[in-house]
Parts: sequence; structure tokens; C-alpha cells
Amino acid sequence: MRLPEPERSGGGTALLVALVVISLIIVTVYFRESDSGPLHRMRRLTQAASAPVATAGEWVFTPVDAVRNWFGGFGVSRDEVETLRAQNAELRQRVSELEEARLENERLQEILGFIQARELDAVGARVIGRPINAWEGTIVIDRGSDDGIEPGMPVLAPEGLLGQTVDVTASSAKVRLITDQRSGVSAFIQATRAEGIVNGSIEGELSLDYVSREVTVTVGDVVLTSGMGGVYPKGLLIGEVADILAAENDLYPSIVVRPSARLAGIEEVIVLVGAPPEPDLGSGE
Amino acid sequence: MNKWLPTVTALAGALVLQVGVAPHLAISGVVPNLFLLVVITLAMLEGRSAGAAAGFAAGLLFDLLGTGPVGAAALVFSVTGYIAGSLSEHMFAESWLMPVTVVFVASLSAELAYALVLTVLGAGSPFWSAFASVILPAAVYNSVLALLVYPLLARFLRRGRPMTTFGRIG
Repeated sequence: MRLPEPERSGGGTALLVALVVISLIIVTVYFRESDSGPLHRMRRLTQAASAPVATAGEWVFTPVDAVRNWFGGFGVSRDEVETLRAQNAELRQRVSELEEARLENERLQEILGFIQARELDAVGARVIGRPINAWEGTIVIDRGSDDGIEPGMPVLAPEGLLGQTVDVTASSAKVRLITDQRSGVSAFIQATRAEGIVNGSIEGELSLDYVSREVTVTVGDVVLTSGMGGVYPKGLLIGEVADILAAENDLYPSIVVRPSARLAGIEEVIVLVGAPPEPDLGSGE
Repeated sequence: MNKWLPTVTALAGALVLQVGVAPHLAISGVVPNLFLLVVITLAMLEGRSAGAAAGFAAGLLFDLLGTGPVGAAALVFSVTGYIAGSLSEHMFAESWLMPVTVVFVASLSAELAYALVLTVLGAGSPFWSAFASVILPAAVYNSVLALLVYPLLARFLRRGRPMTTFGRIG
């Protein structure tokens, strides 16, 4: 038996054509208008309205994720004696938490030192939203223009560069991750000072492009922001070279970069507010 | 109003679940598209006009929640809703295979079309990378979720009306 009663032949076609035309008009208006245009404002309103839902989702799923990770981590010891296993698990959990706290403290101290050395202002923020579709790498944080945040500000994780703010409302901001396919960061290799652009991709991987073939790049080389472009200050840790693929006919080698920041499951971030200092490529970090 | 209330409720529910729950169901970065599931289910139950209208509304919400060009998903989801409605009119609802197949075909088409629109608008990515990492996995993920979501949603949307669909797995 059929599901719905079939519509008349041609029924709905006029509606579809109208909707397609309206969609095309909306796309055109979106590209033509400025950041303060109605569609951009509507997007910020939607972001502000959906932020509490995203926060609630984070609140509900954080313990779920923790339990999932816990079971994943201790799956090997399920056959052990029940009491010893429970005791062991508890102790391991505590040691793990303490170790994690120590490492995080070290990382935060490093970032704090970096920020203080450059006299940058920073705002701490909590992640309240994850990517809602597979096409973009963005997260939402719980700080916005009320906290001095503006579009285009660098965002750091304790381990390194995370991305930059794009859409900002009064109390939240969307952060485009460096792994997003539309992200590009001016960078250089610490050891050789060779410059290039770190680009994201649809797979969520990073590549260092436009590095001269004459430069020797080795796996493990550290990649830092160069400060060119005016968004990121010089010297922020992006990651390290994970692989190099250099075909004979390629103008530039294909360099895969492993990001330092733990992009999945990140909970707290730091936003650098204020303009980045002028780039100074002549000195090392 | 009564006729539209379940539809509006389903779209509002999709919005809440897409923002609050779907990101936590991501597998290797592939987030299920609950908007698309609602649009396709609506199209299969109510026909292509309702599918196109729901597709436009859901697509616009999808656009506003993301960072891509506003209107791109509205365009793609409208067409998807229309095609899913047309497809279901020519298929028989005798087994679980029908909604899963329609969701797979419609999701694959929608994701392909969205990739194409993004490319035309200058925000695209290499086709095979997008196909392997997003388009195909998302279509598979959505069709697997359809097994769970379709019977529940169909019952909700056709409350008070004869519901003979999906009897074998419901």
C-alpha cells in the first residue's frame, strides 16, 4: 500500500519553483549585504537563541562521554576479580585526574607566560557547542561581545592554537577551528624558518602548503604562527609535521601537520583579545 | 493549525536535537542530519509539497545555525523534500527497506547537491575528499538512524489518521 495519497501530477511544482527562487534571492542577499545586514543579524540571533540548548546538551552529555571513555579505557580489565578491578579503577581514575590536572596546569602556565610576555589580554571561555554538521569545524563558546570579544580574535587551547572567532553575539561566539576547510593560518617551521600556510580540510586534517621544495622538512618539526595576516600573533604553537609527501612534479611538497591542540572534546579555551603585535620574522621563539 | 502543529513541532524538535544532541553522536566527525530526516519523513508521509515546504524551513534553520552561505541548504533541502515526496509516491511501504532506501538516496543527493552549491559559491572542497569523508558516511548514518527515527516520527506526524505504514517493523 502507498504511503501518502499521491498529489496531482504537477502539484507542488509551482511551490518548489517559488522556494528555489526565494532561496537564490536569500543567497544573493547574504553575499551582497554587510555584516550588519538582516541575514547576518538573523544568524547571530539564531546563535544566541540556540546557545542555551547547546549548553544543556554539553551539560547532559559530559558525564555520558566521561562514562563512555571510562569504560573504553578499562575494557581490558573486565575479566579481573570484581573487587580488585573496582579498586584499581578508582585509583587509576584518581591518578589520571591528578596527572591530567598537573599537565593542564603546566600547559596553562606556558600559555599564561606567552600571553604575559607579549602583553596580550586574554579571556577564558567554556565550550558550549560542538559542530552541528559535518561540513564545518566550528565550536561555540560562552563568551561574547559583552566580554570584549570580536570577530577575528585568536582562540587557544592549553596545548596550542585552536582557531579564531567568527560570529559573535553578546554572550556567545562561534569559533572556526584551524582544521575547518575554510581556515588558513600563516605559519613557519621553527627549525628552518620556512614559511607557508596551514590549511584545514573537509577531513579535518591540517596541511602546510606553499613551503619551498628547497627547504628540508623533517617529521617532528614544530610549526608556529608567523604573525603575517594580522589575525594571529607570531609564535603560537600550531602543531608538528606528521608526514611529507613530495612527488617529483609537485611545485610544493605536501606536508601533513598534526595539530597540538586536542580539537575533539575540548572544554576550555582562551581568547586573545586586542590586536596582535606586528610580526617580527627576524627573531626566533 | 492542527494540520501544521505536528510539522512545526517536529521541526522544532529537530532544531533542539541537532544543536543539543547530534554533535555528541558524531562518528569520526560525521554528524547525523536530523533536519534532513524530518524533512524526508514528512515528504514520505505528506507528499512532495509538504516535503518542499518543510525542506525550505529546515534548510533555512540549518543555514542560520552554521557558518556557510545562508540559503544554500534551504535550496537543497526544498528540492530534496520534493524529490523524496515524489519518490515515495512511486514506492510501496511494505518493508523497512523503503524508508531506509529513500533516506539513503535523498541524503546522498542532498549532501552531493550541498557540496555542489558550496563549490559554486566558493566554499567547496575537493570532491572525492568530501564524498569519502562527509557525503557517503552522512548518507549511511542518516539511513541507519531512519530505522529508529522513521517509525516514531511517522506515528507522531500521522496521529489520529490511519497508520498502515511500516507495520512489519513497528
